[in-house]
Amino acid sequence: MALTTSPLYAARRRKNAITMGLAFLATAFGLLWLVLILANLLWEGFSGLSLAVFTQMTPPPGSDGGLLNPILGSLVMTTLAVLIGTPLGVLAGTYMAEYGRYDRVTMVVRFVNDILLSAPSIVIGLFIYEIMVAQVGHFSAWAGALALAVIVVPVVVRTTEDMLVLVPDTLREAAASIGLPRVLMITNVAYRAARAGMLTGVLLAVARISGETAPLLFTALNNQFWSLNMNAPMASLPAVIFQFALSPYKEWQKLAWTGALIITLAVLTLSIVARLIASKSKSQ
Amino acid sequence: MQPAGRGPVVDVALPDRRVGVQTAVDRARVLQKLKLNDAGFRYLTRGAAIAVLVILSGIIFSLIWGSSLALSKFGFGFLVTEAWNPVTEQFGAISPIYGTIVTSIIAMLIAVPVGLFIAVFLTELCPMWLRRPVGIAIELLAGIPSIIYGIWGLFVFAPFLQQYIQPFLIAVFGPIPGLSTIFAGPPYGIGMLTAGLILAIMVLPFITSISRDVFEAVPPVLKEAAYGLGCTTWEVVRYVVLPYTRVGVIGGMMLGLGRALGETMAVTFVIGNAHRISASILAPGTTISATIANEFTEAVEEIYTSSLIALGLILFVITFIVLAAARLMLARLNRRVGA
Amino acid sequence: MSMAAFTVPSVAHAPSDRNSLDEKISVRDLDFFYGDHRALKSINVPLYRGKVTAFIGPSGCGKSTLLRVLNRMYDLYPNQRATGEVLLDGENILDPAQDLNLLRARIGMVFQKPTPFPMTIYENIAFGLRLYEKLPKSELDDRVKHALERAALWNEVKDKLGANGQSLSGGQQQRLCIARTVAVKPEVILFDEPCSALDPISTAKIEELIDELKEDYTITIVTHNMQQAARVSDFTAFMYLGELVEYGDTTKMFTSPSDRRTQDYITGRFG
Repeated sequence: MALTTSPLYAARRRKNAITMGLAFLATAFGLLWLVLILANLLWEGFSGLSLAVFTQMTPPPGSDGGLLNPILGSLVMTTLAVLIGTPLGVLAGTYMAEYGRYDRVTMVVRFVNDILLSAPSIVIGLFIYEIMVAQVGHFSAWAGALALAVIVVPVVVRTTEDMLVLVPDTLREAAASIGLPRVLMITNVAYRAARAGMLTGVLLAVARISGETAPLLFTALNNQFWSLNMNAPMASLPAVIFQFALSPYKEWQKLAWTGALIITLAVLTLSIVARLIASKSKSQ
Repeated sequence: MQPAGRGPVVDVALPDRRVGVQTAVDRARVLQKLKLNDAGFRYLTRGAAIAVLVILSGIIFSLIWGSSLALSKFGFGFLVTEAWNPVTEQFGAISPIYGTIVTSIIAMLIAVPVGLFIAVFLTELCPMWLRRPVGIAIELLAGIPSIIYGIWGLFVFAPFLQQYIQPFLIAVFGPIPGLSTIFAGPPYGIGMLTAGLILAIMVLPFITSISRDVFEAVPPVLKEAAYGLGCTTWEVVRYVVLPYTRVGVIGGMMLGLGRALGETMAVTFVIGNAHRISASILAPGTTISATIANEFTEAVEEIYTSSLIALGLILFVITFIVLAAARLMLARLNRRVGA
Repeated sequence: MSMAAFTVPSVAHAPSDRNSLDEKISVRDLDFFYGDHRALKSINVPLYRGKVTAFIGPSGCGKSTLLRVLNRMYDLYPNQRATGEVLLDGENILDPAQDLNLLRARIGMVFQKPTPFPMTIYENIAFGLRLYEKLPKSELDDRVKHALERAALWNEVKDKLGANGQSLSGGQQQRLCIARTVAVKPEVILFDEPCSALDPISTAKIEELIDELKEDYTITIVTHNMQQAARVSDFTAFMYLGELVEYGDTTKMFTSPSDRRTQDYITGRFG
């Protein structure tokens, strides 16, 4: 009993109470920002939300308009980026988990892929600018889509590899035991078993690129007008938000907030859906 | 007589055991074709894996190629010159490098302790039913695109700092020698401190979620042993969890640092884009990524573009080193936990 | 073709008379290594056509390893190798030139845990069939039905062929896997503790099934359950620490084993 009433023990308990209090405060602090940012965004964004946002083009300075062309541009470039990046990422992830699981190549690729996963996206924009925009001499939606695809690849590689590694080896052995060559074992058995997780990866990649701005600034640039020409500059939501928010015009700033709200809602929806798919497949 | 297994075999997979026409040799033919597919698919996937390497080397080579003009003109001086003058075509990288490092340091000074404490809360204190929601909320914070932080920082956070926090800082630290230069006014609102704080909010979720993951990897029996000795929660964290996960936690911090160094949009909105080195963290400055984002499309002269790409190369080299170190540390931890 | 060139003086080719014994597989001086660890030591054992051979022994004795050599499943993993000879109809399957897919189509395997593919019940079986033959739909249906009948599963699943294979009970899943194996027409079926994850009723069904299947196939079963070995097998091999201690007629093995260690194991003194 003397032990629990000693001054030393009291000091230890006090220290514990203080640090645990700090842990609690830190969590409240972290969540506070989420609440503040979302609240602000909803407040500012919703007040500007109207049908016109989805039906009208971006306006000239000082007048009202909408975000139809950047929304469309974002959809087009994101879709293309996913169509280009996903197959490449899935195939690379497949090699790492299936054919080359014990290879040196796989180790190197895994390391490099992890670097790409967190590489500054603006550098990826510079890369595409150098190999594409500078070569053909003009900005284009293709370049924008390609820059986004380069961001998609490492996300998909990572999730594909992780999810395929989770497929039990007994399932592979069972496929091999009826004489299936590896290609069929992978495409018909392993992919099926891992598809929920792989889909999650693609959704997370979409969430990631739909808010990306830096790599678009000097690839797809921006476009005040409606354009579906893939060889010309194309508007995108993030690029328009960047331009409008930094402008002195009230109408533009308002649209920037609305655009920010649209992107955030899209990204949060995507990540929540991805999580749901992932947790559902886990519980199966 | 034919060797068994090669002639027509009784086909037990058929009703009434008809004699099957298929032989092992036929199967061999089918499988031969499939084997070609298999080899093809193998090469295809291997090619895709190699493509990941090609992308990285492409990035490195294109940056070196694009910056060669600036690097050959300015040489090593590029790294240490402050001048950034498109008119006289004089370019030096030291002020963006300085801004990048200062903002990242501010971000890490705040995000690391807060992130670790949140991870402690999530793994040791938080009631079970609350762990998932809080964990998810923190990860959603990580999913918010950086441009949102930027616009929020510009319109909400910077004015708030300008009005309340910065005058307070200037008043408090002004009279103290040394600190007075760091917190020298006037309160602009935008500047390196604001950018650093926004970055802190941005990297916080990364550090939190990685720390939480590595904390959870501590074998429960180790913690139970410490609790069994009568340790308090803090003592368990301090003497068991942290030493055990040190490498992983540092790896997670480096990943966060990598983010902070390369982050573009959140910073570009609030840094002020001023090419000068100020002792005061309240002053406007610039970072590598903000400079590129702000000026790249305006740069018409070749040497200007090349200098901006050279900045990109420097950024890539710095983040590469930080990220590589982070990954190696995390891999080391995984090996230990796995073993 | 290289396959046509072999001659096997030591293996008598079977007269069709089922009473005489004919070695479908002969294991000769087989050693197996996980890296540097020698997991099998000079194994010699015949597996007779149309008979059930059981491998028993305490866990870690190498019985499952031996099974995985017979269809070269170990080839999926690095740092595992086998030396010696395993003759299937006189042809050495350890030969590096051996076509593994072809080999595995000839030697089917049923695993410890049921492993239905993540697809419908119908597809689980049709999948392997389509691999080798282009069949009209009606014939494919016939084959699927027949395979399910052979696995004594047809009556339970005929109304839900479109359901996911993983929705079946454990015992049904295991029979689905047997049907899947049977469908591709193997010559040998390897059972790797097929009942260890099943309840007694499902176990009895599988055992019954093995008894029926041996008319058409050469069957090898690894089991930790000695009663099961006694019930289903014609021949039994007892393994211990990577060695084949004793091999012989099942009845004889269980009534008068000649090796002390076999006797100890069978009477439950260790294991």
